[in-house]
Amino acid sequence: MKIVVAIKQVPERDAPVHVAADGKWIDEGDLNYTINEPDAYALEEALQLKEKNGTGEVVVVCAGPERVQSTLREALAKGADRAIHIEIDDLGSRDTLGIAQILADAIKAESPDLILTGLQSDDLGLGQTGVVLAELLGIPHATIIMQVEATGSGLKVKRELEDGWFQHVEMPLPALLTIQSGGNKLRYATLMGIKKAKTKELKTVPAAASSGAPSIALERVYLPEKQKKTEMLTGSPAEVAAKIVEKLKFEVRVL
Amino acid sequence: MVAGALRLAAWTRSLAGASLFFQSQGFNLSAPLAEPSHFTTLESVLLIAGILVSAGLFFWRFGPILKTILRSRKDPGFSLQPIGHRVWDFFWEVLCQGKVIQQRPLPGLAHAFVFWGFLAFALVSLNHLALGFGIGFLPPASLIGSFYFLFAAAWALLVAISIAGLFVRRFFVRPVWLGQKVSYESGVIAFLIFLLMVSYLAAFFVDAGSAAAKSLWWTHTLTLLAFLPLIPHTKHLHLVLSPVTVFLKNSGFSQIPPLSGDEDFGLVAGKDVTRLVSLQTYSCVECGRCTEHCPAATTGKVLNPKEIILGLRSYLNEFGPASDTPLLSESRISSPDNPPEKYLSMEAAFECTTCGSCEFQCPVGIQHVPVIVGLRRGATNTGAWEDNYGTKLFLALEKNGNALGLSATERDKFIQKQAFPIFDGSQEYCLWLGCMGGYDPKGREIIADFARVMQHLGTSFGVLKKEKCTGDPARRLGNDLVFQTLAESGLKAFETAKVQKIVAICPHCVRTIATDWREFGIAPEIEHHSEFMARYKDKLPKQSGESIVYHDPCYLGRYQDVYEEPRAVVAQAGTLVEAPRSHERSFCCGAGGGLAFLGEEKGERVSHVRAKELAGTGAQIVGTACPFCNTMFRDALTAVSEAPPQLLDIAQLTARALPASQPKSESLPPISGGVQ
Repeated sequence: MKIVVAIKQVPERDAPVHVAADGKWIDEGDLNYTINEPDAYALEEALQLKEKNGTGEVVVVCAGPERVQSTLREALAKGADRAIHIEIDDLGSRDTLGIAQILADAIKAESPDLILTGLQSDDLGLGQTGVVLAELLGIPHATIIMQVEATGSGLKVKRELEDGWFQHVEMPLPALLTIQSGGNKLRYATLMGIKKAKTKELKTVPAAASSGAPSIALERVYLPEKQKKTEMLTGSPAEVAAKIVEKLKFEVRVL
Repeated sequence: MVAGALRLAAWTRSLAGASLFFQSQGFNLSAPLAEPSHFTTLESVLLIAGILVSAGLFFWRFGPILKTILRSRKDPGFSLQPIGHRVWDFFWEVLCQGKVIQQRPLPGLAHAFVFWGFLAFALVSLNHLALGFGIGFLPPASLIGSFYFLFAAAWALLVAISIAGLFVRRFFVRPVWLGQKVSYESGVIAFLIFLLMVSYLAAFFVDAGSAAAKSLWWTHTLTLLAFLPLIPHTKHLHLVLSPVTVFLKNSGFSQIPPLSGDEDFGLVAGKDVTRLVSLQTYSCVECGRCTEHCPAATTGKVLNPKEIILGLRSYLNEFGPASDTPLLSESRISSPDNPPEKYLSMEAAFECTTCGSCEFQCPVGIQHVPVIVGLRRGATNTGAWEDNYGTKLFLALEKNGNALGLSATERDKFIQKQAFPIFDGSQEYCLWLGCMGGYDPKGREIIADFARVMQHLGTSFGVLKKEKCTGDPARRLGNDLVFQTLAESGLKAFETAKVQKIVAICPHCVRTIATDWREFGIAPEIEHHSEFMARYKDKLPKQSGESIVYHDPCYLGRYQDVYEEPRAVVAQAGTLVEAPRSHERSFCCGAGGGLAFLGEEKGERVSHVRAKELAGTGAQIVGTACPFCNTMFRDALTAVSEAPPQLLDIAQLTARALPASQPKSESLPPISGGVQ
């Protein structure tokens, strides 16, 4: 089975994040980057599927500037066989569709049996890239996956629903799955892995040109603002009471 | 050294006593040793044949052993220099039998008599064999001859008594550490040694040139020739190898060798075993001192340091030093009946607390800890070791840079709360917090109190803005990738901040920064807070009354030879009480070697055994000098004692008597996490 894992490089969890001067994105100057956590689980799932199968190939794909190569090397060190770096310096200028397009472009040539990716990114948290990517490639997908089991011709997967419910789905291959964190136990990077990774292929490809202006753009990035708002209600006690009930019902939504 | 000299003096006196004994029993001192008069050609031919057969049988076994040792991989980074400590170790441990006697006085002394007796006998034996060819060079009637043979006779008596005593110990007292299986070969050897001595002594009572003298001569000769080939076939190989092993052993306690080249991941297979390790495994005399003092072996774990060494030996015998067969048995077909297979297992290798008792105790120069850590390296660096806790620890070190897996901002908050100045080059000391001091609630109390002591003494200090783990747990668990990353980042942090002097509350941090980091660069001078406080002990408040039992942390005592400094601090804070096992013989708390972060599932808890011992002294306070020991005893003392003694670090012992000018540690924010 040939598995492609699409991963994203994001700022480290503890990184002190500051909003950039233009207010459109964060200041990237002083940040350390790491693999997006759900993507780490997607990679782990791919490696385990390959190990269970005995054969197969795991290819990791990541779009971004040169710094993402460190994350790709780490993935190679953990056991991925090949890496593809889609070179793009202004990832932030593309919307989800744009990103999915450049990923689809690079992945199509690989014609994998299975594509895995984290269910969402730690930085933007949109949770759409995987789904749109499946749509662009014309293959079925399933989201928020906890467990994957290869059957003879396809897959049996366990989806996480809300409220402690799970859904078990059987699906054909090729397919795309977005993986939930915590389904597996991550492995640690080893010295042997790092040394082997040096001899593995890391291919750099240019990003496909965007097919037009993004349909969604980030307007403003800001820290949650605390605000106090006081509104004076006027009228007779009955009117005020009615207004309060209405506000509690439709604005505060506690009734 | 002084103890050794005293002992030397003691045996000289006993020697004098022995010759007096000879005189008082009417033993005629002027009667020389009876030598056989004439040897026929046939006898000389028989003697030559005997010597050839004996030497042949010796090399028949010794040759392959020597070949195995020499064909093992060269030791990376080995150097004979500095040679001083080698000469000293040889003098003290081999010639003086210092360690042998010090750690097991009675059998040790008996062994020393046999050893010194052998040395005294070298000249006698040479002359004895020379007689068979008619070229004896030490005439019994000559002045030197008569003196020397009497001197040797005194030794012969001591050797005979000692070996008889050791025989009784092995076959009738049967200490458990010698192993379940009775070693009959040891009995044969003991008998041969006894016979050698008796046949020598008897020659004083027969007439020179008589038939009796001749038959005694042959008895002595044949015993000697039977003894020689037994040496390489039994643990008595240590007679030949251990002096070399002691001289060549790696300098430094628990010195973990550097990895060399891209294919070196530690001890994975036979091809990774180095010459020194190979030499050490063949030197093992199976005395079991390592096992006797091992916190894992004595609390019901699989690990048995002696069996690790013997397992390696049987591996080398079976597979050889160039083999690719994995050393740890999980990776090969294991057979439950074969003990070496059992002990050379992943489980055993990861039960070691790296306390170093085995290495300290070993009288033949075996360095167990680098071997065990080497096996762990082989398993961890290749990803063969799978352990939930271990993986969690490594991921925490990779991601968060601290062993507790907490966000680095937790440390920032703590520093702010304590108003610790950031080191900017203007302060004298860089105060190293460590994972425990920076993140663990109890460790934070210790750091805060030590900071108060420094303030009281008027010493300026600052803390690093960002600090990551020294990599100690990764180092001991064999993860060289994480260790190297952390060591390099730490060295850089000190360099950037222009740190000159560091002080730390954790012996693990001190040892790792001062010694283990050396592979990647030179760290600034670092000392443990016990050393710092001991220097100012007269300025520390003198307290009286309470009795304090001091627990020697392995990484401070055996690893760094710091025993008296923490005691000086304790003595200033109360009445020092010694634990039954203290100083070099201190018993581990169970936390070292990364084990604080792993599960301890088999047998009795190491920490409970030690806590019982400490509480049993009746002291009001248990004094520690390591935040890991402290955290282990925190739970253990309450578990083993109804009214547990108070538990305080030496910094806390001191700080509690200081005037309360600084905010007390109760104001610390409660945090989640901590060592499990």
